[in-house]
Amino acid sequence: MPLKTVAELKIQRLEILSPEGKVDAKLMPKASDKDLLKMYRLMFQIRAFDERAIKLQRSGRLGTYPMITGQEATQCVPPMCLKPSDWVVPTYRGGGVYFARGMEMRYALLYWAGDDRGTHFPDGNNDMIFSIPVGTHLTQVAGLAWGEKLKKTRGVALTYCGDGTSSKGDLHEALTFAGQFKLPAIYIIENNQWAISVPRRRQAASETLAQKAWGYGVHGLQVDGNDALAVYTAVKEAVDRARNGAGPTLLECETYRMSHHTTADDSTRYREATEVELWRKRDPLVRMRKFLESKKLWSEAKEKALSVETEKWIDGEVAAYEAFPEPNPLDMFSNNYARAPWNLIEQRAELEKLLEQKGGPQILTRLPPVEGRFP
Amino acid sequence: MTTATAEATRELNLVQAVNEALDQAMAADERVMILGEDVGRNGGVFRATEGLWKKYGDARVVDTPLAEIGIMGSAIGLAINGLRPVAEIQFDGFMPSVFDQVVCHLGRLRSRTRGKMTVPLVLRAPHGGLIHAPEHHSESPEAYFCHTPGIKVVIPSTPYDAKGLLIAAIEDPDPVVFFEPKLLYRAAKGEVPKQRYTVPLGQARVAREGTDLTLISWGAMVRTCQEAAEALAAEGTSVEILDLRTLTPLDLPAIQESVAKTGRAVIAHEAPNTGSWAAEIAALISERCLLKLQAPVARVGGWDIRMPLFRLEKYYIPDADRVLDAARRTLSF
Repeated sequence: MPLKTVAELKIQRLEILSPEGKVDAKLMPKASDKDLLKMYRLMFQIRAFDERAIKLQRSGRLGTYPMITGQEATQCVPPMCLKPSDWVVPTYRGGGVYFARGMEMRYALLYWAGDDRGTHFPDGNNDMIFSIPVGTHLTQVAGLAWGEKLKKTRGVALTYCGDGTSSKGDLHEALTFAGQFKLPAIYIIENNQWAISVPRRRQAASETLAQKAWGYGVHGLQVDGNDALAVYTAVKEAVDRARNGAGPTLLECETYRMSHHTTADDSTRYREATEVELWRKRDPLVRMRKFLESKKLWSEAKEKALSVETEKWIDGEVAAYEAFPEPNPLDMFSNNYARAPWNLIEQRAELEKLLEQKGGPQILTRLPPVEGRFP
Repeated sequence: MTTATAEATRELNLVQAVNEALDQAMAADERVMILGEDVGRNGGVFRATEGLWKKYGDARVVDTPLAEIGIMGSAIGLAINGLRPVAEIQFDGFMPSVFDQVVCHLGRLRSRTRGKMTVPLVLRAPHGGLIHAPEHHSESPEAYFCHTPGIKVVIPSTPYDAKGLLIAAIEDPDPVVFFEPKLLYRAAKGEVPKQRYTVPLGQARVAREGTDLTLISWGAMVRTCQEAAEALAAEGTSVEILDLRTLTPLDLPAIQESVAKTGRAVIAHEAPNTGSWAAEIAALISERCLLKLQAPVARVGGWDIRMPLFRLEKYYIPDADRVLDAARRTLSF
């Protein structure tokens, strides 16, 4: 008997805005001029913010920082397709996502300064802090989406993982659940081509990462991740699909990590400058600016004005970050349980005694009060 | 303990008590849901969830794909989002798959989010050996969980406690790992009230009162301790048995009270002794009850080797003789 084809795989790639700033008019999404300008503004501002964060780290005023340079479209555009009550969980390299969700960036600096108080998102947002053990949030996101489905809210959950993380079992199990239970979830594989020093080709033998979707019965699409309009279109469609109960989507947004893994990494050790320059020609901001200028929505004067405004804004956030009082060590004992058990009560008292001994009673009055409930 | 009339209680075994707890918890709170492998149509491989899928339906009693990370992770997401999931891992030996979620997130989310996100879920799994099960079906992994901050670990040894503790665990605002001694699923029988009730977490139970020696234990080993206590009673020694019920947070006052009374303690459990939860309790007793002790605290547990295939399991898991041996050494110190 001849072989029968029982399933066939096809993965498509969406491109709308070319690196030169030209748009395929047939594919142009429904986006107002206000939306288009917002996309550019978000990308511009987070890029400038990251540049400042790097400077802060180099001068000892910030811990190790993971910059998103080059990935601005993939990060800043999807949140524009969501409601505050929709769930969003980025990767640790997710400054653009949180920024687009309205996060006050002083808190991002606080987090990367090693301060717990940096885990702070706008009221009314269902934003979740990322997971440092990469990918471990992916099944949790399935659960968040599952909760929306059970509560019949039409809410969705959107999350990211990197090309490296797409190798982990967590993605497999998350998509297995999402596909099986038709969960209102959007999984974005933010493929920036590098997992520290390991290139994308070392992560999977498949031609694309988007085609993993096929294994889970889930809709999959590859998107030019540096193309804000393509990202917008793909995510909007995925959000609609989820809200209407038609299930999850896996999007592979292809982009590039223009800088190092973090400020603690030296990418010249493992990749070629020629590759970086190749991707510089595909920059998400450059093409968006060209497009906006072609529509007479942008100009050199507007660019200068935004730059001045942005630097002022960043100055403000840095000042606010550095004005935060020292954390109170006793805060570590808050919020571990609804009611602290005896061992935490004892241990907190022990630390309190040690603090008193170290700096006299004054140190405790100089420290800010403990937040949250204790015990 | 509630005053019970003949009509208000009846004899149940431990797994029936678990089943009733789940049923009554689900009836009382529509947020409670069950997820796991084979929990739905099949009613669970030990029948712990028997009848619940039929009664509550697909949306609340969910047969998941075979994916422990998926079960644990999605239960965390569901709990954050307002549901009260009771996730089942089919056997103790398969729990390591969920350690990533348990260690990295389960006990951390409340504090990482400074109280904004909480995870009120229950993670259930059968526990322990002596049922001639295949490999990895007879483990006692409680120490790994007890060592993890931010979670609670509970293990009943009677049907009455199983029902009351499980309902309490489901109602608890924090994540609870709930171990069910599989040896006792059918073998432990007792009077269980028909009504819904709770047994508080964090409280030990004096399973037997005595004056000469304290046996501290949990799970199926409590029964083994009863056996040893009977043998010692025949020799004129009065043994007190403390069934911890909640492993963390520990009922420290109960431990201190008993050891102060008897001056001698033996801790009996199934897990490898080294780095066990018994070791932690022994350290606590020596820290806080030293001057009351007449002898070193003894730990009777598994050898520091893997649980063997079942033909040798009775040489691995302490039997009454090994508990007696430790008890006699402690009594004659």
